Order: sequence, then structure tokens, then C-alpha cells
Amino acid sequence: MNRRDVLRAASGGLVAVIGLGAAVWSQVPVLPKRPAPTAGDAIGWIRFKDGAYELTLPRVEMGQHIATALKQVACSELHVAWDKVQVQLHDTNLPRVKATVGSESVAQFAEPLAQACASLRVAIKEGRDHGLVTVTPRPTSELSAFKGEGVVGVSPELVQGRDIVQGRPLYAADMVGADMRHGRVLFAPVTTDVGSRPVKWNAAAAKAVPGFVALVEEVPGPRGHTVGLGIIARHPDALSQIAEALAIEWDLDSAPDILDMEAAIDIDKALSPTGLKNAVMNDPVEEGAWDGSFRYDFAFAPHGQIEPRAAVAEWQNGTLTVWTGTQDAFYIRDELADRFGMAPGNVRVQSMRVGGAFGGKVLCRAEVEAAFLARESGTRVKVQWTRSQELSRAYHRPPSSHRVRFRLSEGRLTDWDHQQMSSHIIFTSAGIPAWMQAGTNLAAGDPGVARGMKMPYQVARARASYDLVRLPVHSGPWRGLGAGPNNLAIECTIDEAAWTLGADPVEFRLRHLQDPRLKAVLQRVAESSGWQGHAPNQDSTERKGRGVACGIYKEHSYAAVVADVSVAPDGTIRVTRLWCAHDCGMVINPDQVRAQCEGNLAWSVGLVLHDGLPVSNGGVVADHFSETPIPAMPEVPKMSVNLVERSHAPSGAGETVIVAGPGAIANAIRAATGMRPTRFPVVPSEFAL
Amino acid sequence: MKILLNNENQVIPEPWRQGSLLFLLRDYFGLVGAKLGCGEGVCGACTVIVDGVAIRSCITSADSVQGARVETVEGLAGDGGPLHPVQQAWLDHAVPQCGYCQAGQIMSAVALLRENAQPTSDEVEDAMEGNLCRCGTYQRIRAAIHSVAEVKR
Ligand code: FES
Ligand code: FES
Repeated sequence: MNRRDVLRAASGGLVAVIGLGAAVWSQVPVLPKRPAPTAGDAIGWIRFKDGAYELTLPRVEMGQHIATALKQVACSELHVAWDKVQVQLHDTNLPRVKATVGSESVAQFAEPLAQACASLRVAIKEGRDHGLVTVTPRPTSELSAFKGEGVVGVSPELVQGRDIVQGRPLYAADMVGADMRHGRVLFAPVTTDVGSRPVKWNAAAAKAVPGFVALVEEVPGPRGHTVGLGIIARHPDALSQIAEALAIEWDLDSAPDILDMEAAIDIDKALSPTGLKNAVMNDPVEEGAWDGSFRYDFAFAPHGQIEPRAAVAEWQNGTLTVWTGTQDAFYIRDELADRFGMAPGNVRVQSMRVGGAFGGKVLCRAEVEAAFLARESGTRVKVQWTRSQELSRAYHRPPSSHRVRFRLSEGRLTDWDHQQMSSHIIFTSAGIPAWMQAGTNLAAGDPGVARGMKMPYQVARARASYDLVRLPVHSGPWRGLGAGPNNLAIECTIDEAAWTLGADPVEFRLRHLQDPRLKAVLQRVAESSGWQGHAPNQDSTERKGRGVACGIYKEHSYAAVVADVSVAPDGTIRVTRLWCAHDCGMVINPDQVRAQCEGNLAWSVGLVLHDGLPVSNGGVVADHFSETPIPAMPEVPKMSVNLVERSHAPSGAGETVIVAGPGAIANAIRAATGMRPTRFPVVPSEFAL
Repeated sequence: MKILLNNENQVIPEPWRQGSLLFLLRDYFGLVGAKLGCGEGVCGACTVIVDGVAIRSCITSADSVQGARVETVEGLAGDGGPLHPVQQAWLDHAVPQCGYCQAGQIMSAVALLRENAQPTSDEVEDAMEGNLCRCGTYQRIRAAIHSVAEVKR
């Protein structure tokens, strides 16, 4: 087949066989910009027109209901009723806002928005009805929203809630229409570190599939040395049939450089008497006998969101419009502009409601694929990844291997050493090439891997350190980054220290804590759960146990959890009850803070029991959702969430409980079975009688 | 080839008959409430009701629903009319987080409550087990279903 043939007619439709040539863009990746918002920026978020207010949401809406929370702030500050403010999602015509990551939307955006609304309110009162209002910041204590006035502190009907329950179009893939074509780009199922391209395929069989429109050759993948084969169809169902009919043979430049990932990050091979390369806590801790030494291993784990990423692209007169459910529309815009050699102003990205992201929808992938296919076909093209593409091509929580050791003296922890081997999170291998990562390794390690390693307990000598291995799979941000696994390792070890001393684990923790807010959530959850110790209760069939854990997320949000579990003779573990106490400072919408806690508790069940993505020979080997289970309704028990409300500035709630839920569940399993879970997800047969 | 779709007679044109019911509903009829999640019958995001039974439209072929009565989330409330009690309960309990799974959850709940107006807790778990929610909204889904059953009592 001549790759330079352009658009020739064939039976079954128009066949575009297009040579785009080798990828020509720069080898330096486009990096997200993360400016903090100011009150001045916020004036672009709120407008007054014809007696009504329009709030352009400066965040991405993905289920955290920031649209509702910021509308509450706006209504409160404008002194207007709930139905006076209309919320719309932003596109990239808004002045740049940072990615929606890290549970910081209320913490960083509520006050600038309130300031802008306060100034707008005054301007309207002074009789102005057009032009730009200058924001004159006032002390927070003078802001209605921060005094908890109006709709702040209550839980009005969710923004977009009515649309969701009626199935109205909200998500990128919901854009449909007779002129829409459906696209997919097939890539070799290997890491983008390995150059790969299709070398042989059965075009005739593909064209015979009803609904076939075109093949698009040489679609450049990430980083220039991966090449994909694009397909365009009239019906979405045809895509999988075409992909199968093509029976593509792939050419790979090399095999993955690491075949056994578990061995590559084996902590006991890496353990160092002086700690690993990147120190998080760095007191001198002496070698010698330890009173406890525990190893924990975490699998590579997918996000498991229900919505596979999707994007719709359309070209018109040299401008590109893309609709997508991403965590950072501006980053997508910048990358598209870079890829297609365009001025950023000629690319517009409209952010759509996201059907679950959890850290996994930051990089630009489906968007660039849709844009390529749309350019070549001259039509609107929608690309929605298959589940198999989600598993093999997206980035996931890196696997990690931990050893935590301690010494005790006179009822107290005196020495603590936590060492961890993992792979990159913030400097994700899916976006950052190896040569650049060599630099970030030296300069910064990876703050995502470090997150949560700094434990809150007062110990005479504490050391925590980690090192990184670039793995032949894509690792990256996942709800809470390192905080889930790190806090689980810490909370299991603290629990073991309490067992060693025969101490009550709540009392033992309190003995070592200074932070009053952390102590308060721990005391609150002990009270609400009626804590009376581990309560192991062995009856004839089921082993039952109770566990507790607590922690701080990003130094400003606090959570404590108590869990009850029941373990069947064959080792099947059921979490039967969960209690949680949470403190994220001042709360704008208590019901939605609760909802985030509930979600994190469900994630805690998943983290302990399920989260894992099968790998073998240096690659992902799962193709189906059924191979990466997430908790179903019967696995998620009754939960009680208690909010400790405070006047402190609002922090964040989207990830906090992931620091405590998994530890509480693991500690309950230990109480029920006498065995310390050390592999996550747990292997039930290890707990069989 | 005809179906009764949300109480209206509709014809399925030839090119769409071989495909899945899910894409027929979404891309031909523009009823996008049912979602693609897994595409293989595991997650329930694509759930619609066919002849009274909640089914996974991603693994149901369009031609297999010939002559059937198909209901989607869009058909629950009449045009501009009040929400269906299940939809209203979903709002009252602020069930949705990202919302992507929720049309499927609602259709499974509607099918359950039609069949069994007073389901026990175990019956709710059994009926809803195949509708996954990664955001973890299960506690609110249970509460919403029980609140509808309570009102009917
Ligand atoms: S999309 Fe049909 S069950 Fe998942
Ligand atoms: S609400 Fe997000 S998956 Fe259910």
C-alpha cells in the first residue's frame, strides 16, 4: 500500500490513506502550568447580565461537586437566591486556571471567588451595569461566605443533579449526531518508552466491515517514536470489528527493559542502613536490633473510573475545537497547539463533566487522537477509549514495596525507619521522558511518592526515605498519590507496635500525637464507634475484628476511621461497618464533604481488597474490567461520617479519608485473624483457616 | 424493524440493526443517559429496561429487541413533567457524585421497585450488585431506594 495515496474512493465508503510523515514536534513534553488563582482572576469567573449572574466554573467538575460549592460561595457573597446564579463549565477562553488536582478547589478558589463577588455586589449597588469591576480584596472575616451566611454551610440541590438523574448530555461522549464519526487509534500495547509501529494489517478485511469509513496511517503517538493506526467508522460498534479484522502485527524497537517489576522494586534488596536516596524525615537512626520490622507490598493499580476517557474534535477554518472530560483543559489546549503547530488561541478546549478521574485524566491522549482523525477525515470525530485501552495505555498507581521498622522503650516508640521503593507519580513516566526524569530524580525525587511518608507520631528518631525505578508501565497520580499506600504502611506498623506492648491502639496513638486536630478526630471516631479495643471475637464460623487508623492529608485535613471486618473460614474478608471522623476546617457544603468521605471509604475497601492491575513480563496483561474489580454494593457496608467543624480556613476533602480507611480495615483483619496483611490487595487464601 | 421506545413507536434503520442496543440508543436516537463503561456486561452503566427487565444494553444487540418495549432514563419523567419518584429520591439523597453510573443505577432500581415494591435489604443488594459505582455512592443508593419503598407503603 502506498502511504502517500490520499483519499481514494473504494467500495464501502471513502478510504483515506494518509501519510502524515514522522512526528515532528519537539521532544520536550508540554508541562502543565499551575498558577495559583488570585482575586483578580476571579472577576472573569462571575458576570452579571440582564439581571442574572453567570458563574463560569474555574474548576473541572468530576463528582466532587465543586460547582455546587462555588455556587454556594457566589450566592452567599452576592446576597442572591439559589436560582439567580447559572453555572457553566469553562473552556480555554477563560484566563488559565490550574489543573483540578490535589483536593484544593475550595481551599484556593473559594476566597478569590468570594472577593470578586463582593466587589461585583458593591459595583451593582453603586449602579454600574457594564464594564470590568476591579476587585478590592477585603479581610476574609468581612466576607459573607466565610461568615457562613446564606447558602454556605447547608446543602442545596446539586448543580447538574437534575440533568444527571434525567440522563441529559453532560459528558464528552454524550455529544452525538448524524455528522459524528467514530474513531480509534490502535497502538502497540506497550509503554511509550518503547518505539512501536504497525507493520502489517489486513486492510481489505477492515474495509469489508459495515460502517467502515477510513484508515488513517502513521498517527503519531506520545513522544514521537510510537506510531498508531487510526480507524474511522460511521457506527461506534464497527470500531472493534474493524480493529479485530485488521489483525495488526506490531514492530517493537526493543523488549521492556524490566521484565520482573516486583523484583525491580523489592524493598529488601534496596534497604540501606543510611536510608534511601530521597529523605522525607531524616533523623539519624541506628542499625541494630528492631522491636518490629514489617514489609508491605502494593500492586500496580488502575483508577477504575466508570467513564473511559473520551474526546470530540472538530476543525473549522484552521481552528480546532475539542470537547473533553479532562482534569486540565488548558494543558490539553497547550499540548494540542504544540502537536499541530498552532497558536494556542486557535485551539479551544471545552471542559465537560468528568465521569470519574481520581487523578487519572490529566494527560492529553484521546484528545490528540480525535484531533488527528478529525483533521484527516474533515468531519467531527469522537474517540472514546475501550476498557482495554484504559488498562494498557493510561497511567496507574505505581506498585510500591515498603519496609517499616521500629524500636520501643518504656511504652513509647523511640525509633522509626520507613523505606520505600516505587515508581514515579507526579513526574509520571506517561508524560515525562527518561532523560528528563533523570533530572527530576536528582532535583526533586517525586513528591507524589513521598506524600504521607512523614508520619504524625512523635518519635525520638524518625527516618523515612524512598527511591524510584522507572518501570516499563505508565505510573502516575491516583487518588491521594502516595498517601494511601504510605499511610496504610504506617498505620499497620503503629498497630503492630501497640500489639507488641499490649496497648490499646487508640490510646497508643494518642500517646504519640501532638496535633490537636488529629487527636480530636481520633477521639471523635472512638466515641462514635463505641471503641473498646480491637474486639476480636472468634465464633465458630466467622472471625471478627475491629481496627482503627488516622492520619493527616497534605498537612491540613484530618481523618480517623474505625472498621469492623468479618473473615470467613476460606479467608474471604467482608468489611461490615465503617465509622469516620473528618476535619477539613470550615465547611461550605457538609453533605458533599460527607459524600467525599463515603467515596474514600469505598476506595479504602477497594484498596485493601481489590485494587490491582495484572502485569507480566514488563507489561499490562489485563484487557477487561472484570480483571480489575472494584467494590460492588454488597462489599461496601454501612458507614457513619462525623464532621468536626472548625473555623480554620477550608482545606480539602476529596482524598483525606484514604489516609485512614485502608489502615483501619487492615488492622481489623489483623485483629480478626491474628495475621498481619502485608500484600495489597490482600490474598484471601492467606487468611483461610 | 420496530420498537416501542419510551412509549413511542420507532423504526430501527438497517445500518443500526447489527450493532448494540447501547449505541443505537445513544448515537441514533440521541438518548445518552445510558453510558458506555466496560462494554462487556460488567459495570451496569448501560442499563435500560426491556420488557420490564433491567438489561445491559452494551451486550444486547439492537435486532434482539425487535418488537420489545424499551425504556431509558429519559422516559421516566414525562416531558417537562415531575421527576419519577426514583429520580426525585436520587436528588433528595444527593446520590450522584460524578454521575456517570447513575442512569444505570436508576434503571435497575426502577425495575426492582416495579417488581417488588417493598424489597428487603438483601433484595436491594442482589438487584443492585451488577451496577458498579467507583465514586462509592452505594450507601445513598440504598437509602434512596428504601425511601421510595417507604413512601409506597
Ligand atoms: S457498559 Fe454495559 S455493563 Fe458496562
Ligand atoms: S457516581 Fe461516579 S461512578 Fe457512580
